[in-house]
Amino acid sequence: MEDKFDCIVIGGGIAGLSAAMTLARNDMKFLLIERGEFSGAKNVSGGVLWGEGLSKLVPNYWEDEDAGFERFINHRRLTFMDGDSSFSIDFKSESFNEKPYKGVIVLRAKFDNWLAEKVQEAIDQSKYSEESFLAPNILVEEVLMKDGKAVGIRAGEEEFFADSIILAEGVNNLLTRQVGLQDSYVPADYLAVGVKEIIKYEQSVLEDRFQLNGLSGMSNEFIGTATMGVEGGGFLYTNRDSISFGLVLGMISLRDAKLTPYDVLNHFKEHPVIQDILRGGEVVEYSAHAVSTGEMKVMPKEVFTDGLLVAGEAANLLMNSGKAIQGMDYAMHSGVLAAETIIEAKDKGDFSKTTLKVYRDKLENSFILKDMKNFQDAVHFLHSPQMFETVPSLVCDFGKQFFSIKNEPTPKTREMLTKSIKKHSSYWELIKLGIKGAKSL
Amino acid sequence: MKKLSIAERLGMVNYLNQSKTEAKPHILVDTDICNHTCDHKATTYVCPAQCYTLDEVGKVHFQFEDCIECGTCMYACDKGAVTWNYPDPEIGRGVKWNFG
Repeated sequence: MEDKFDCIVIGGGIAGLSAAMTLARNDMKFLLIERGEFSGAKNVSGGVLWGEGLSKLVPNYWEDEDAGFERFINHRRLTFMDGDSSFSIDFKSESFNEKPYKGVIVLRAKFDNWLAEKVQEAIDQSKYSEESFLAPNILVEEVLMKDGKAVGIRAGEEEFFADSIILAEGVNNLLTRQVGLQDSYVPADYLAVGVKEIIKYEQSVLEDRFQLNGLSGMSNEFIGTATMGVEGGGFLYTNRDSISFGLVLGMISLRDAKLTPYDVLNHFKEHPVIQDILRGGEVVEYSAHAVSTGEMKVMPKEVFTDGLLVAGEAANLLMNSGKAIQGMDYAMHSGVLAAETIIEAKDKGDFSKTTLKVYRDKLENSFILKDMKNFQDAVHFLHSPQMFETVPSLVCDFGKQFFSIKNEPTPKTREMLTKSIKKHSSYWELIKLGIKGAKSL
Repeated sequence: MKKLSIAERLGMVNYLNQSKTEAKPHILVDTDICNHTCDHKATTYVCPAQCYTLDEVGKVHFQFEDCIECGTCMYACDKGAVTWNYPDPEIGRGVKWNFG
């Protein structure tokens, strides 16, 4: 066992690569195993990588000629929809052009692959340049346990051993289940399915349609008839010469409505407002993935055990709070925190859970679990039927009155609002909703 | 924009090991459970790749070849009919995203 690793990282997505980058920079001897042909080959996300975490992991990444991101976000839009209208809150700010960017749009097949190259560069400069590896195209089938401690992994006939394991296998966390940190069956109640199309445009068409300048980009979320009454919402993100366009739909809600995600997607695309946005594009890829919603009930019982830590979506670290869908930033930061914990454990010479539980504390003290705890009410609020049915209808109904000029005596805005509220809800319901919303956000 | 069928959508997916006639299935479904004890047949709705279908007499059929590894069926089936694994990179099916 002389050639055992300090750490084996399972999964070469954002959590795994961020852990690997941290390990490499701290001269740790590690093996990262990715089941895809390359990092990103199996990964799907909306997707925006929010926050400034990337600039800490890859300093000045924007100077890289072909940095893996598509566009930075300086324009955000939230759109409420009913059957024939849309009502948007639109915010654009030049201040978001400042570096480090506050959010970058990514396509995972490209981004993760780029990040893996950066990790390889870090390995090349580390003490273990010949003994640390990124190993793609290998499926880890088992975490090897000895006396309740994780000691290695098995892939086919091959076994590899290490002092520690970081599980960064994504939301479908089979190994996290195998080691007993997650139940063997995870019910659909707190999960959603995301479906997405990559729709290609001539770059000039894309830039004109979405008012893009250089590498600036826009994110647009949609709630209301987009989802045919199914819990969830739509999204649109501008890439370099395409858009990522799709829906996130609650699994149980979809089941109960007896609708398929691709039929709901077709419905969304047929909305007159959406048709005008999408016109002239060509779909070049259709993809889908299960995704957490931010409900903490679904999380593994614990994120550490003897010799092992769980990072990223494998620990269901993701949240849709209504402001943004955050998952990749959580993956990145939890990967870094997991690696830091392993580095400290090596210094102490102790990889037992007594030492590794520090990872839990690090997560608790970081924005990840602080925000997930603070915004649980927002997660519930966002998944209430009022939010994806009543509110969008009411808002659009008000819009139709407020923005139409009829050459008739015009009612005061308050009367219009009252009319819309009475049609779709009641003042009392709305006050309750308002209080809930104000408290949760 | 032209309305796309699910077949057209899946036609854009880059599947692995397509040249191999017999890929190793990574998902096993006990459709006896679907047909005899399941009241909701959720997988036939939620699967985004139409791997689960209902025939004219309401029986569930499953094929893994079109699976895009999203994992949804593993959660949606609460009857224990779905045994879900990742496809083997060498002899399994599964996807390689161009964009992701």
